[in-house]
Amino acid sequence: MFLINCPYCGERDQSEFSAGGEAHIVRPKQPTELSDNQWAEFLFMRKNIKGVQFERWNHSHGCRKWFNMVRDTSNDKIHAVYKMGEKPPIK
Amino acid sequence: MPNWNSAIKKIDINNVASVNVKHHSELFISEVEPIMKLNVRGKSRDFLSMIGKILNIILPTEANTSTTNEHITALWLSPDEWLLFKNNVTNRGTEETIIEENLYKNISQKKLGSVTNVSDQFVMINIQGQNLYELLSSGCPFNFNDFKNKKGAVSQTLLNHTDVIIYNEEINKINLFVRRSFSAHLWSWMNDSARFI
Repeated sequence: MFLINCPYCGERDQSEFSAGGEAHIVRPKQPTELSDNQWAEFLFMRKNIKGVQFERWNHSHGCRKWFNMVRDTSNDKIHAVYKMGEKPPIK
Repeated sequence: MPNWNSAIKKIDINNVASVNVKHHSELFISEVEPIMKLNVRGKSRDFLSMIGKILNIILPTEANTSTTNEHITALWLSPDEWLLFKNNVTNRGTEETIIEENLYKNISQKKLGSVTNVSDQFVMINIQGQNLYELLSSGCPFNFNDFKNKKGAVSQTLLNHTDVIIYNEEINKINLFVRRSFSAHLWSWMNDSARFI
């Protein structure tokens, strides 16, 4: 259990949120020109690293807004939270 | 005669005063129905000014807050979503239809935003008493320390795994909005939990 600072509502319990997977995956501009393997790579393949990861989260039991989070998956330490469309505050 | 049936318990619809009320040692829990509730969504400045013009209320733009006037209260749900509800119990009917149609005509049809009548979707439960936050805290992950002293504060959270909107009407007096299909279960849970407080 840990607390997440929703960029809209403020600090809330993790149980109010849903994880939405890896963030900043760019949709290919011309999907029709991709091979099946390249399309599958975009569609399904996600990093699952031990360490600092960029993720999408949804405050599903609160404001229902999506946002991004930089989280260390090994200890759940949250390094940054930022709104959709904003650039990551850390690299 | 109100055109309304309690989601929590079958009542005599000829007698609105007999709505569900429960007394506990330090708590008073009652269903406040029938009451008009509207969900409005929009982002533009025109949307906000149109709502203000029609309902004579400024929608709150600060998170977890509310605004109120003589007739209506507006709760902040997200940066582009609000819940409006009437301050007093009224028989559903002409008045509600006029407000909804007026908003629909000036907001939905002009594509400024959306207006949805959620009067039947949400059930409003009023909880009063000194131990009210002990009851909530027994099934809720939200930290009520700041909330309970801030009149007009709003929070959307989970109560006994059920989505709820909580509005701090006065100190030790809240209005809780729950989806109709979950209301009977939550009502039972609250009355059961209140026995131990």
